[in-house]
Amino acid sequence: MQEQQLNDWRTHALTLETEVNKVVVGQQNPVRLITIAVFARGHVLLEGDVGVGKTTLLRAFTRGIGGGYQRIEGTIDLMPNDLVYHTYLGEDGKPHVSPGPLLMSGQDLSIFFFNEINRARPQVHSLMLRVMAERTLTAFNKEHTFPHMLVFADRNQVEREETFDIPSAARDRFMMEIPIVVPAAHEIMESLIFDTRFHDVDQLISNVPADILKFDQLNSFAKVIQENIQASPALRKYALDLWLATKDPVAYGVKVSNVDMKRLVLSGASPRGMGMLLRAARVNAWLNNRSAVVPEDIHAVFHETIAHRLVFSPVYEMRRTEIARELLTGIVNAVAAP
Amino acid sequence: MNARNRIIVFFFGTLWLLLAGQCFADVILPDVDQKFVSVQEINPSRDAGFVVGDKLQRTMILTVKKPYELIKESLPIVGYEHRYRGQVSGIELSAISVKEDQQSQQAVYTIQLEYQVFKTGRVTKPAILRGEIVKIRQAGNTQVRQFRMPSFNFRISPLSVYGEVNLKNELSPYIPPLQLRADKEWMLLKGAAALLGLCLLALLYILGARAWLPYMGGAFAKAYRQVNRLPEDPQGLQQAITAVHQALHQVAGHSVFANGISRFTSEQPAFAPASSEIERFFALSHQVYFDPNTPLTLDLPNKQGLKRFCRHMRDCERGLRPEVRA
Repeated sequence: MQEQQLNDWRTHALTLETEVNKVVVGQQNPVRLITIAVFARGHVLLEGDVGVGKTTLLRAFTRGIGGGYQRIEGTIDLMPNDLVYHTYLGEDGKPHVSPGPLLMSGQDLSIFFFNEINRARPQVHSLMLRVMAERTLTAFNKEHTFPHMLVFADRNQVEREETFDIPSAARDRFMMEIPIVVPAAHEIMESLIFDTRFHDVDQLISNVPADILKFDQLNSFAKVIQENIQASPALRKYALDLWLATKDPVAYGVKVSNVDMKRLVLSGASPRGMGMLLRAARVNAWLNNRSAVVPEDIHAVFHETIAHRLVFSPVYEMRRTEIARELLTGIVNAVAAP
Repeated sequence: MNARNRIIVFFFGTLWLLLAGQCFADVILPDVDQKFVSVQEINPSRDAGFVVGDKLQRTMILTVKKPYELIKESLPIVGYEHRYRGQVSGIELSAISVKEDQQSQQAVYTIQLEYQVFKTGRVTKPAILRGEIVKIRQAGNTQVRQFRMPSFNFRISPLSVYGEVNLKNELSPYIPPLQLRADKEWMLLKGAAALLGLCLLALLYILGARAWLPYMGGAFAKAYRQVNRLPEDPQGLQQAITAVHQALHQVAGHSVFANGISRFTSEQPAFAPASSEIERFFALSHQVYFDPNTPLTLDLPNKQGLKRFCRHMRDCERGLRPEVRA
């Protein structure tokens, strides 16, 4: 029974991927990673330059998943209550209160997109921490729950003025940080310029069939995946070795160019991070029609689930992206399985 | 008796003595029975091409059975020269040595003879080392018998041809054939032998499974030996797979996984011919270590398959091209 369920859902998931890939071209890997995050029920931090298609990508997914989609732009004067409600004077001349983006879709909120999250103040980050971790919010003397909500946030690391670095505790709440880059293939780049179907985003997104997945069943099905995809003792040992290597890369002989390895890592991956890594790896195994996780499933999500959790010495923070990538590649190269 | 008569008596007496001595010298002794004496001759290795001054060695091994014995005084002496019709042969005995070996039933005499040629001619002439006659007698008996040793025919060549010589007329069948120079063939033979040696070494190298051969300390050579020693059970298979993984890591210098095969073969092009086998190995490794429920259709299901894979990888390691099925 469950095997049939796994197969049916895999078909739907691959259909969703295919449809999104038709709309957002040249982003197969980010699409696969977001699919994994959706089925692993993890929040996603998108990283990329302006205008590379992050919003389009998320909207395409939202249409395929179904449920409510809300979006807010991060600005320096954004306050936490802006996420919860806003007040206005009605036609009757009286003040009115209406729900903010978080409350507007109620329990049907499936994707909450926080654009340029690093422009928001730490107070806003703090609110998001709770919402992401607990999927609840107390407002108007009532606790609101968002059981199907996934937070997708993006940050632009190029511009640093009037931005607030997301603290490591907030970063750790995100399952993945996925880089979105402009496709390197020239024919795709040319198509993005000249193909008129990419000029009207609303029209473009309407090409994705609506409700390919049942958003309100994702939580229960995610549990089925986690229960049915096995992790052998050898795989567990491998994951443990990877974790230890993120904490003490020197012990595994990992080196990063122009970096004092003894001073580099202040804190390795967290237990929550490693748990998310294995959740994502299980989903990847399921998507590849396997009944157990293999090391390659971990590799498929390793950089995206671990890199943003590592805490480096402040002196190396400016080169975080580059160092994290080299460090994690070194760890994968250094740790063997079996 | 007057002086004249004394002279006549002296003359005839002397004549009688001379004739008597001559008669005694030319006396022909009876031959010894062949069953008592045998001879083995060792002659010069060639019988032509001798010139004036050359020496010929021959060895006669004379076996004389008892009760007969050789009269050593009958052996020729150095400087002895045969004559034929009163003419010296021009071949002189220049050295002789005798070694005697007395045994219970017989005596063996090894007689080394050395003759020197003292004649030459305008053309090649036949010559002969005449068989020496030795005397035999029975111990305690005065009767003497003779034994003629075999002769040896050879040809004497002129030192140089001078004057007009009609070679056609003077052509002698006794002139030894001209020897062809075999230097080229010798070189060819040596080269072929060296090539054969190298081929044998290469064969040993390809088939060998021992550490003392050059480059046998390679990662896959070690893995091959390790896999060879492991038992053929599930635990042995796991250990064998681990050994192969370690060899892959050692060769690559980093961990190698199924998603890194193309990177591995691009970094180590010598292993590119075995890439399909490497993929099959990783599928087997996944089944054994990570995903036992996944059905596997491989031709590497057991240790024999792993051994073959290791051997192919070892060939790659040595720069050889393995016979890998796609």
